Amino acid sequence: MSETFVLPVGPQHPALKEPTSFRFKVDGEYIVDADLRLGYNHRGMEKGCEARTYVQDIYLLERVCGICSNAHMTCFAQGVERLMGIEPPPRGVFIRCLMGELERIHSHLLWLGVAGHEIGFDTFFMYTWRDREVVMDLLEMVSGNRVNYGMQTFGGVRRDLDGMQIKTLLEGIAALKARTPYYLNLGATEPTMVARIAGVGKLPREKAIELTAAGPTTRASGVDFDVRKDDPYAGFGDLIPFTIVTDNGCDVLARVVVRAKEMMASYDIMEFILRNLPAGEVRTKAPRKVPEGETVSRVEAQRGELIHYIRANGTDKPDRVKVRAPTLANWPSTLYMLRGAYLADIPIIMAAIDPCLSCTDRMAVISDVRGGEKVWDWETLRQYGIEFHRRRGIRP
Amino acid sequence: MSLRLGAMLPEVFRHLFKRPATVLYPFEKNTVPARLRGRPVMDPDKCIGCRMCERDCPAEAIEVTQESETRTDDGKVKRRFSMVVYVDRCAHCGQCEEICPAKPDKAIKLNEFFEEAAFDRGALKIVYK
Amino acid sequence: MDLLKVALYLLVYPGLLFLFVYSTFVEWVDRKLYARFQHRRGPLYTGRAGLLQPIADFVKLMAKEDIVPSSADKPLFNAVPVLALAAVLTSGLLLPVWHFTTGIVSATSFPGDIIVMAYLLSLPTFAYFLAGWASASMYASIGAVRVLTLLFSYEVPMFLAILSPAVMAGSWRMAEIARFYQLHPGYLPVNIIAFAVAILALQAKLERLPFDIPEAETELVGGTFTEYSGRKLALFRLLTDVQMVTGAGFLATLFLAGFPGGLVPGFLWFIAKTLFIVLILSAIRAVTARIRIDQMVNFSWSYLAPAALLQLVAVIIVKGYLP
Repeated sequence: MSETFVLPVGPQHPALKEPTSFRFKVDGEYIVDADLRLGYNHRGMEKGCEARTYVQDIYLLERVCGICSNAHMTCFAQGVERLMGIEPPPRGVFIRCLMGELERIHSHLLWLGVAGHEIGFDTFFMYTWRDREVVMDLLEMVSGNRVNYGMQTFGGVRRDLDGMQIKTLLEGIAALKARTPYYLNLGATEPTMVARIAGVGKLPREKAIELTAAGPTTRASGVDFDVRKDDPYAGFGDLIPFTIVTDNGCDVLARVVVRAKEMMASYDIMEFILRNLPAGEVRTKAPRKVPEGETVSRVEAQRGELIHYIRANGTDKPDRVKVRAPTLANWPSTLYMLRGAYLADIPIIMAAIDPCLSCTDRMAVISDVRGGEKVWDWETLRQYGIEFHRRRGIRP
Repeated sequence: MSLRLGAMLPEVFRHLFKRPATVLYPFEKNTVPARLRGRPVMDPDKCIGCRMCERDCPAEAIEVTQESETRTDDGKVKRRFSMVVYVDRCAHCGQCEEICPAKPDKAIKLNEFFEEAAFDRGALKIVYK
Repeated sequence: MDLLKVALYLLVYPGLLFLFVYSTFVEWVDRKLYARFQHRRGPLYTGRAGLLQPIADFVKLMAKEDIVPSSADKPLFNAVPVLALAAVLTSGLLLPVWHFTTGIVSATSFPGDIIVMAYLLSLPTFAYFLAGWASASMYASIGAVRVLTLLFSYEVPMFLAILSPAVMAGSWRMAEIARFYQLHPGYLPVNIIAFAVAILALQAKLERLPFDIPEAETELVGGTFTEYSGRKLALFRLLTDVQMVTGAGFLATLFLAGFPGGLVPGFLWFIAKTLFIVLILSAIRAVTARIRIDQMVNFSWSYLAPAALLQLVAVIIVKGYLP
């Protein structure tokens, strides 16, 4: 008796924190096939960038994602800096790097909690999120906000650190450094947790490369790819020492281990930065107009390689901005991992890539073959959105 | 590593006797850090009317308008500006404060107020004259 | 006088009123403990320290819109919550609390009531299955199948586990079993393995972590209860709470020597012993992740059932060789 039926997961489902739609063909508790539909959370941000100045864009792009806001900001800022031909001063570079690592800690702790929640381990979730408050408080102290720090700008960072803050940061980091190994041990020794994550969501090394997985997902499959090593930015490579973390487990447990060890590596990076902070300015003056040119900027966000493509046309507004978020790179491997898995493993396998749908979502305009290509400008897109919701009775 | 049954038991029983970590907001409030980016507040006496904040605001939440133009006795033109801040749109990025060129003190500053929820959108349109 | 006693027994203690009030209190204890284990505060605002929160939740759910899916099997869908609640409330009446004497056989205490009790506690599980099946929803159907699979894995260890104290006491009547252990408390530790097995099986019966597989929120939305709302969901919630009380009372009778001493001391013993079991159940819930259904079947047949059998053998040996 082998009867398959289709189980929809999404666009609204408790396992999903943001809307997307999976269709699973299931045979009892086994998944035979998985299919994915994107586009429920498209906000037209790339198009929006073209209608705004660079200074406005940096804050708009920060809001592409709530968790990796700093990564998006850094990525855009360093791309535009390259086009402008300016370099941030050393102190600015160090603080930029510090923000990236602080954000990585907060994101990885958040992910650990979400992973715990997806397998029903709510106590684990509560503890990791409680400890995440430590790093959230540090971020708030440095930048003035818990999310959307707004620290990066063209030519450096917007706020300097003072002595008191460095001391508080070091204390906070030391506290987290003492706490993180506990979660790593728990993930590897608590029997029910191990039962749910060890050997689940296997992604062999060759498949990870073939399906272009990114970030901790690929590093947990033994691929030592990290933008911080392969295309150094923000002081990595020459100024700031850094060790890459990989694991050969290829399963969800390996992804937990990689993320926990990455946190340990980040604590070392941050301690180095705070102890060796160079003196001087944190930013250089940046022009308002950007000379013609195009560039690709890469950052190792918490979830993997983040790419921004920027094309400038000599005005104060970009000609084209394109965001390739790491989650998009991880979807093919997620579908691969889901095929043949148990129904109960859907949430944890999906969560294991740390998906961020608002970063990722795409919109496709299917143009009429006879009407030629249809180009949407910002205003049309906005009007379309307002109309779309008005038709459904939602007041804009 | 070997498996340990109930690996978390000692930890949870220890927390049974600890004070909970939850803060009872809004009855208890954490202290706000000095650098918090709260609501933008404008001082019309200091504004020079350059409109840099209006131009740079990513959320288009600021409107600057000229209120009056008076000529002082020594022949200098003195203009006075008013500002409307739509706090419901404000993204609290602080770019307005950063870009403000007024010397010696900036004409627009972000204060420490963060509880922006309101029942009426109109209450979040704040006029500085 | 006897009639009054029976009426009190049915309606007040340990009947309807007591079961309702006490089960909401037990839910509060469970939620509060779970929260404190997690370094949180738990229910706080309704009543002193949130004591009335479960009742407030119940009232709130009762007042909410009650939706019956158009494709559902309506009579079954509507009847299931009431029938299941009736089953667990009846199981509460079988608990040997205050007006039991081992001498008199009555409708609520007779040789073999241990089996009736075990079956009454199993009825809600079938109700969950029927509820999921009648909902005619994808998630509810998968939940229903999981309910049955789960039942097959924990029911046999549960029965084997409750068998060993009965064999030890040489009786099929809960009042007599409790009496036996009250007279010979030295025999209580013999059943320790069976107690552990029964606790785990009760946890599975109540569908709590790590065995909340049928209603796994992140996988199946609400499992068998996906389509339930309003009054019927409130009844299901109450049912789970009452089941926790009677299940804990059942285990306390068999493994912790019951509730001796008449009305007041018996009542206090009842509270103390059930709360002790609830504490264990909460702690288990706090320190585990949800396991998969295949792992559950594997776990109960390779560990729980053999452990229960081992216990039975141990009990027979002890009973054969000791006075």
